[in-house]
Amino acid sequence: MKKYVGKRILTSLFTLLAILLVLFILMQLMPGSPFNDEKLNADQRAALYTKYGLDQPIVVQFFKYVGNMLKGDLGVSYNISKNTPISQLIQTRLPISIRIGGCAVGLGAVIGLILGLIAALKHDTIWDTLATIISVIGVSVPSYVFALALSYNFGFKLGWFPMLFSQQDIFGSSVLPSVSLSMFTMASIARFTRSEMLEVLGSDYMLLAESKGISGAALIFRHALRNALIPIITVLAPLIVDLMTGSLVVEKIFAIPGVGSLLVTAIQSNDYNVVISLSFIYSAMYIGIMLVVDILYGIIDPRIRLAKKGD
Amino acid sequence: MKKAKAFLAIAMAATLSMGLVGCGGSADTSAPAASTPAENAGTEAAPAENSGTAPAETVTAGTMDLNVMLETPVESLDPQQATDGTSFEVIANFTDGLMQMDADGQAVNALAESYDLSEDGLTYTFHIREDANWSNGTPVTAADFVFAWQRAVDPNVASEYAYMLSDIGQIKNAAEIIAGDLDKSELGVTAVDEKTLQVELNVPVSYFLSLMYFPTYYPVNEEFFTSCGDTYATSPDTVLSNGAFILDSYEPAATAFHLTKNNDYYDAARIRLPGLNYQVIQDSQQALMSYQTGALDTTLVNGEQVDQVQDDPEFMAIGAGYLWYVTPNIDAVEELANLNVRLALTYAINREAITADVLKDGSAPTYTAVPMEFAAGPDGSDYSEDQTRYADVCAYDADKALECWNAGLEELGVSEITLDMVVDADDAPQKVAQVLKEQWETTLPGFTVNLVVEPKKQRVEDLQNGNFELGLTRWGPDYADPMTYLGMWITDNSNNYGLWSNAEYDAIIDECTTGDLCTDAEGRWARLYDAEKLVMDEAVIFPLYTQCNAEMMSSKVTGVEFHPVAINRVYKNAVKAE
Repeated sequence: MKKYVGKRILTSLFTLLAILLVLFILMQLMPGSPFNDEKLNADQRAALYTKYGLDQPIVVQFFKYVGNMLKGDLGVSYNISKNTPISQLIQTRLPISIRIGGCAVGLGAVIGLILGLIAALKHDTIWDTLATIISVIGVSVPSYVFALALSYNFGFKLGWFPMLFSQQDIFGSSVLPSVSLSMFTMASIARFTRSEMLEVLGSDYMLLAESKGISGAALIFRHALRNALIPIITVLAPLIVDLMTGSLVVEKIFAIPGVGSLLVTAIQSNDYNVVISLSFIYSAMYIGIMLVVDILYGIIDPRIRLAKKGD
Repeated sequence: MKKAKAFLAIAMAATLSMGLVGCGGSADTSAPAASTPAENAGTEAAPAENSGTAPAETVTAGTMDLNVMLETPVESLDPQQATDGTSFEVIANFTDGLMQMDADGQAVNALAESYDLSEDGLTYTFHIREDANWSNGTPVTAADFVFAWQRAVDPNVASEYAYMLSDIGQIKNAAEIIAGDLDKSELGVTAVDEKTLQVELNVPVSYFLSLMYFPTYYPVNEEFFTSCGDTYATSPDTVLSNGAFILDSYEPAATAFHLTKNNDYYDAARIRLPGLNYQVIQDSQQALMSYQTGALDTTLVNGEQVDQVQDDPEFMAIGAGYLWYVTPNIDAVEELANLNVRLALTYAINREAITADVLKDGSAPTYTAVPMEFAAGPDGSDYSEDQTRYADVCAYDADKALECWNAGLEELGVSEITLDMVVDADDAPQKVAQVLKEQWETTLPGFTVNLVVEPKKQRVEDLQNGNFELGLTRWGPDYADPMTYLGMWITDNSNNYGLWSNAEYDAIIDECTTGDLCTDAEGRWARLYDAEKLVMDEAVIFPLYTQCNAEMMSSKVTGVEFHPVAINRVYKNAVKAE
């Protein structure tokens, strides 16, 4: 087990370093530079390049960046918020994105599970059809459409919730963005739960459990749902990262000071350090969650661990 | 043309009415700072009309914050690092310079109580107000200006607007310091005593006072700056106010932040807003809906929304100063080196159709190389008021276009021309480029234009590197003088993208910036027209339109002053009715 975990962690670290290098190369290939502005002449651009060390060879820049990063220094922003350390920029924004993304995942997972359960238990009835329709809509309609529709109806027409994010009313102003973001999660979870449940319900061990006299809630939750959950968690993991790192469009619509909107602005204005830092954090979170899932698998299901060992 | 005139009338009425309230306000409070110079006499008649309503409003200071929408977050609150209009507006809310703008954009005293100008026009001596203090209680001193201005030219700081002190302001030694040849302590600015600042110039600069309200020239307290280290101007604790408001909530690139009235401001009696509430909204539909629910007092509207709101009395078009133009690559593209081809292209543009049918935000068709309504001459009139001045070379005339086109084709010995035009990936420029392409291709037989849509940074890079044939670009005025435009087309200027070069033109510009005409305002003005005529006659650029921003402004709000230069919105005289 120790060897397995150690190997996983090492691979993850190596992957992260490779990602960082690719990001660095991609930045170089990005059209324009952070300082292509009508008001800047060649001398001024050169001065800015020198100031930020961008005139050095990319290899030097890369190792400097990695060195600084190990010390917790992610560099400064060139455009979005001039000379502000990226860590300062991110530390106030990431919690907001995580909060809203977390609410969305929670909401989506719970409602999705319920919908999926209903659909599976009332298989081939009107309830099944209804739940399926809802989940198809949820998967196919992009979140910003929900965002606009919710904002128009519940924010503008009815005035129940604020239309824009506000620090004074974080809970109230998180409702609409969380709901719009949760739609996709809800729909995916509902579909997975339904199909997994149907498979589990039709299996031999369910028949056995039933014949042992287990019935009702205990049968569904302890025996059926528990077994159906394992593949669902696999789907949920990347969804969590996706939502927590912020949704660019939904953040834009609700004026949420999260990291999603920051990344878009950064890409548009060639703010290298912000793009690299955010993409890196995104990758790190993704790899981190995958690592946790991998390790959990190893714990939950010894067969997986053994199979890896055999490789 | 009718439509254009109607627009102008509306725009002028709007600015005028804003101006009236502004004047009314400052006249009532009779603050010593508003020692309006004589040039403003022309507008002084205005408050009389308004005096019936204004005093009632001035007695009661408001209790409600003004809710302002921004399209983009603030890039920097450091006056020597900021470069964009949004940042400038916010910095100016809590920082005063030596001068400020009155409702008409004229420079009037702010932190400077008075100033003296030496006879040769080379030395300004500013006397700073005794009651000007920073929000931590320390007085604003001449040393604060010296420190800030030295920062602005310090090559280590690499301020993007350093040229405001060197090329534009002509402060002694500024250019040498920026180039790294002299130490920053050599800058021609000295603190004679605590409250007296002396500035030495290389040549007399007629618009020097108007530079004093440009944020690059704002003071910074050295002791405070040093105590903040790297975090200067990134939070309410790391900025000092000496202006009308105090920043009380802010984080870098914030989407919402707040300023409160500065009760220790020397002119506090004049400020009637208790605070300013800023909200960044990037989605225009959300912004308009928020405005309609009353959460915002003012918001920008985009071209598509204009149809929906243009009959609303709260709708208005505000001049933004930007001139949009097409720059032909005269140097590198053989076809565009031909004057007849260039003239054909500019004759074939129907500018009214672009502003009236495509942009619809109040932008004004422009037929001069210097846009309208930002630079007033010695007699107080707008430099580009007369838009027919160059009508013989710049007007929509399909027949002339065809004539020049055929002549040009003959000279080149070709029957058709294909050119690329680089365009920003933003919405409005793309639409404008589509219309240009259509107009050119229908009017000029054998002409094909391919649009190359690029992210703005890439587009600017391509223009700067000469890697283009035609380019759609824009330029906003940095200071209230036609030179902010005309200075661009001298040989080797980095914004002379087409690399046009004309010795006569260079000589005129030289004469007007550093030569004999520096001290002769009228003579200089006349010479500037000569220079502009050269640009127009040779079709160095094809001016298109002067950008306007379509805005909504609640009828409860009065006195917000709009300016196309430096600080776009000023709230010192703003009032919000309960």
